[in-house]
Amino acid sequence: MRALSWCGGLALAAAVLAFPFMVNAYWLSVGVLAMFYAIATASWALLAGYAGQFSFGHMAFVSLGAYTSGLLVKWLGIPVPLGMAAGVVMCAVVGSGVGFVGLRMRGPYLALFTVAFSEVLRIVFVSEVEITGGSGGLEVAPLFHTRSDMPYYYLGVVLLAASLAAMLALVASRWGLFFRAIRENEDAAAAAGVPVMRFRVLAFAIASAFTGLGGGYFGHYIGILTPDIGSVDQMGLVVAMAVIGGAESIIAAAIGALGLEFLVEALRSYGQWRLVLFGALLLLTVRFARNGLLALAWQQVRRIGRALRTGQAAREAAE
Amino acid sequence: MTPALIEARGLTKRFGGIVAVRSLEFTVQSGELIGLIGPNGSGKTTTINMLTGHAKPAGGEIYVRGRRADGLAASAFAALRVGRTFQITQLFSRMSVLENMLVPGLARPHSTRPAVARAARQHLEFLGLAALEKLPAKNLSGGQQKLLELGRALMLDPDILFLDEPFAGVNPYLRDEIIVLVRKLHAQGRTFVIVDHDIQALQRLVLRLAVMSRGEKIADGPVAEVRENQEVLRAYAGI
Amino acid sequence: MADYLLIQALNGLTIGIIYAVIAAGLTVIFSILRIVNFAHGEFYMMGGYFGYFAISLFSIPPLLAILVAMLASFALSVLVERTLLTPLYSPATERKGDYGILVTFGISIFLRNIALIVFGPYPLRPPSFFSGALIAGPLIMTWDRVFAGGAGIAMLIALVWFMNNTPWGEALNAVSQSRESAAIVGIDDQRFYMLAFGLGGALAGGAGALVGPIYSLSPSMGLIPDTQAFAIVILGGMGSVGGSILAGLLIGISESMFVALFPDPSRSLTYAQAFSLVILMIVLLIRPTGLFGRAHASME
Repeated sequence: MRALSWCGGLALAAAVLAFPFMVNAYWLSVGVLAMFYAIATASWALLAGYAGQFSFGHMAFVSLGAYTSGLLVKWLGIPVPLGMAAGVVMCAVVGSGVGFVGLRMRGPYLALFTVAFSEVLRIVFVSEVEITGGSGGLEVAPLFHTRSDMPYYYLGVVLLAASLAAMLALVASRWGLFFRAIRENEDAAAAAGVPVMRFRVLAFAIASAFTGLGGGYFGHYIGILTPDIGSVDQMGLVVAMAVIGGAESIIAAAIGALGLEFLVEALRSYGQWRLVLFGALLLLTVRFARNGLLALAWQQVRRIGRALRTGQAAREAAE
Repeated sequence: MTPALIEARGLTKRFGGIVAVRSLEFTVQSGELIGLIGPNGSGKTTTINMLTGHAKPAGGEIYVRGRRADGLAASAFAALRVGRTFQITQLFSRMSVLENMLVPGLARPHSTRPAVARAARQHLEFLGLAALEKLPAKNLSGGQQKLLELGRALMLDPDILFLDEPFAGVNPYLRDEIIVLVRKLHAQGRTFVIVDHDIQALQRLVLRLAVMSRGEKIADGPVAEVRENQEVLRAYAGI
Repeated sequence: MADYLLIQALNGLTIGIIYAVIAAGLTVIFSILRIVNFAHGEFYMMGGYFGYFAISLFSIPPLLAILVAMLASFALSVLVERTLLTPLYSPATERKGDYGILVTFGISIFLRNIALIVFGPYPLRPPSFFSGALIAGPLIMTWDRVFAGGAGIAMLIALVWFMNNTPWGEALNAVSQSRESAAIVGIDDQRFYMLAFGLGGALAGGAGALVGPIYSLSPSMGLIPDTQAFAIVILGGMGSVGGSILAGLLIGISESMFVALFPDPSRSLTYAQAFSLVILMIVLLIRPTGLFGRAHASME
């Protein structure tokens, strides 16, 4: 069984690395976007699924990270990676602020508050046209001066892998235990000595930082940055990606994002109906497969595996 | 003279227009085994909530080992090694029994995973839950969940434990088991304040009884004395 | 200038009443199903479109179209409730609070996208209920606005009457006070959840139909009224109709005043929306439990 996972893992790694050579430029750009969505979705899963803090304002940090980096690079001429780092810091700080301010709120109220916050930020970005270019867009310096998207793709893979590794390390550590405890029962967590407020703010700070990283990556790739990347509809897309993949598992959520982003593009000919489809898929998953479709598929795989093994045992017994 | 383990002075709590606890004076010395009783609505649970940081007093002071503690968060009280259980068992339902024990252990400073896991397993052994360590907490029976909650409080290595209605809805065997466990822990040096309605069980267990009625403490002393107290009898009869 | 402000204030009153109607629907849903309905704004939006198409496709007179819109919204809400909300009543469902948030958020996204495709992204304006305007000295208010305000108040009065004077309404009241007690007395029928959600949706839909001729319809029109409705429910306190109306009027007027007084006209419209959102954020910060009415009950 172990050997099988290793083989599978290597095959997957090979496929990921060879991807740009197997597809045309269009699908490569889809791959870049898929990396971005995977980072944003995984960090949302960390905050909402794992730590139990339902924030529907998550995409605001994509905007914030992207605009911060884009504007700093434009005004101060700093190198793009530095701009991106600044975006991450900005998001960590503002994220902590949102988390802190949201401490008095639980569940749906926190969700409401974060939606409002996200929309206010979007409106500010739309309205302050002299600074941000408003809906017309902001020209953001590109990360790489190449015609091909390949460097963006590989950078995306690295950023995604690094982000996932960091998040998984966090989840495996005692901090991960505390996040889960807070999600399960805040009062019990407090009685157990977990400084709940500190960790709620921390969850926001960390998740927002990762999202800001994704945002910076997105901004410097897309070239023309508009405020609607931080809209509620984009949030809905990310929520759909996380839930369909599996909101409580960071890896499942990332896979959900990758899968759905490719699906979105594959169904391009259906236009707006794609989003309706995803909405329906989201609702069906929440209703019938709350742990996500990947968990559901995994369950089926194990069931088949068990059936095969009992069948095999029966056959061996008969001999 | 060593300061009292926990001391409340003039403790008051209001909910809307109702005064749930009025000017309470309550002192717990190290090593005591105290029962806190009173009719429903007398303010017992509110008092415990204030003394463990789960509710903020509207007035008065709380001292833990001589230092001011009122207004601190519940997690701070836990860090001060004040443990508690809840009226309705509060567990981390989808986490395993062992994980429920690891959380408070790892929340303590300078704790390492192997040491905490060892201590957790020792406590689970003591409570008779060792075989269940991998099960999700929600799969335990009601009685086992109560014991797990006690175990979780024990992981704080508490000097004092507030038990909120540990005998509520509990069958006689489990009740006796809890009494035995509390006695053992008390012999180890831990202090207990137990709130409950089961006065028979408490009388077998505790040495001192405090009685509350309508937010005020109306009696506080050795069990035999309090039992004879007229005011106490009236308070109970009067409901 | 004073006249202008006065007119704006009156407009604010009207919109405030509309918000109060939406908020009343939200309250009914919350007090009985115990969930925060993120899709409420979309029922408002659908109600507006139902009214529009009742008039344009079926030639129903505008006044009757309001009722048609409410009935259609009621039906839509019940459909949603039956297909997606029933897990909330089953003890087998874990973390009902999270489920409620996710599922209603999903419904809102779904409805918005369907509306975008079916109705198109461009604003539609249904015909007026009454043409012309009420002119009283310096004050001018279109009859549509006057009607919307009046009809809104009528809806609220009808709701209160229903809750207090009909067996269904009284049962709803009982369930909203305590599900457990109501069950003991024998009122424990899933039909009540259907009724409550349907009623809430119908109120929102009716508000949408009233507002169509005034502000025109678009698929994303639900977001701001929804946030205002939440602010009202929280400010006015769950289950307090009087408090909700008061809060509604307050919020409606302050919204209008903000637009009127904002110094930069090019930004005033967009920032007016931000203002509404900030109101909600402030309300959530200072009063997660409301000023009047009961303290918020926990989800499970």
